[in-house]
Amino acid sequence: MAARASYNDDRGRGEVDFQSLVELHYGPLYRFAMSLTRTESDACDLVQQTFLTWATKGHQLRDLAKVKSWLFTTLHHSFLESRRRSTRFPHLAIAEAEAELPAVEPDLVSHLDAQDALQLLSQVDEQFQAAVALFYLEDYSYNEIAGILEIPLGTVKARIARGLAQLKELVLRKAASAGKAKEGTA
Amino acid sequence: MNSAEAKAVLLLYRPGAADAADPPMTEALELARQDPELGRWFEEHRAFQKAMRAKFRQIEVPAHLKTSLLTLQPAAQTFIPPPAWWRRPVWLTAAVAALLLLGLAGVWLQPRAPDRFANYQSRMVSEAQREYRMDLLTNDMRQIRQFMASRGAPADYDLTPGLEHLRLTGGGRLTWRSHPVTMVCFDRGDQQMLFLFVMKRSAVKDPPPETPQLAKVRQRLTASWTHGDNTYVLAGPEEADFVKKYL
Repeated sequence: MAARASYNDDRGRGEVDFQSLVELHYGPLYRFAMSLTRTESDACDLVQQTFLTWATKGHQLRDLAKVKSWLFTTLHHSFLESRRRSTRFPHLAIAEAEAELPAVEPDLVSHLDAQDALQLLSQVDEQFQAAVALFYLEDYSYNEIAGILEIPLGTVKARIARGLAQLKELVLRKAASAGKAKEGTA
Repeated sequence: MNSAEAKAVLLLYRPGAADAADPPMTEALELARQDPELGRWFEEHRAFQKAMRAKFRQIEVPAHLKTSLLTLQPAAQTFIPPPAWWRRPVWLTAAVAALLLLGLAGVWLQPRAPDRFANYQSRMVSEAQREYRMDLLTNDMRQIRQFMASRGAPADYDLTPGLEHLRLTGGGRLTWRSHPVTMVCFDRGDQQMLFLFVMKRSAVKDPPPETPQLAKVRQRLTASWTHGDNTYVLAGPEEADFVKKYL
């Protein structure tokens, strides 16, 4: 709470205190990094790289209201760079996802933990993962997610729609296989 | 909007988010209130989302991370933006305002660039290169035609045999000098897009001929032609058999 107050005060003065910045954002950034990499060490490296970039280039950011999305964009850049991704992902139509909207009972999700959720996300098409992670982790609007991932708004919506549909299907499959395993042991 | 379309919209619903007030979302929510089956699906979906969101937010952050991050603290850690205009001396503000007025007068008084096809073609290609926005995401050409017709953009366009075989991804309504332009987006199948721009031929003084003309514009290959009342620009990545494949 103290960190938030200090950060807001600094924003009012047009200054960013590094310690407050870390305290406010390292948690959400780490969760986003984990959803992309699935390993603690890689996620920590990404967050470190992000704050290191801030330490060297952060002064170039003119609009302090955009610090948070700047950090997320920088982290995502670092991730893509580390994966040497040079190809663009295709643009997708939401209409295609219509046939893939299985109904999932919420009870099935309650048996999962955070690690299960990450494991399931890792099985979703890679091109949808970052958008889905931001959708669940943060309260960003679709426009803001589009800004962070630097892709068109329509593409963000299509990726989230397809990603959610795949995630639901995976939850169902996991529940079915868990049910079979139970039957086997009974 | 039918039930399947409403599901596709509601899939992206997030309570409290700004997107919840979008017109398609409002319509889908209303439909969910009226249609018991859709309503049940939506309730289940919301509960799924809530539970899933909670799981993602339970990811634990390592205790050592914060300490190691704080060691990165730069020596000069503060950013001080330039003073706002109202804090600058009055004479400087007045000088800037005068210069701005002079600049604007120059823009207003200069003769307008003619409505040349090349200007239109260049603008459309730059639209495709920038972060364009599709108004409609669909693989149904009828929906795009209906959408464009309802917004006064060309909807009576003809597709070449090559384009008929490509996967449609959506479309958008653009304008060029207040003339409506239809943008149709195709997926070439290798993570590259092709864009077809259609505008009334009367919008330019020098529409291209009926035979497609190839030209490289801003690192894109374009084919331009006129047919009936419409003028067409097809833009895509450069490739050897562009004409054979798409025209």
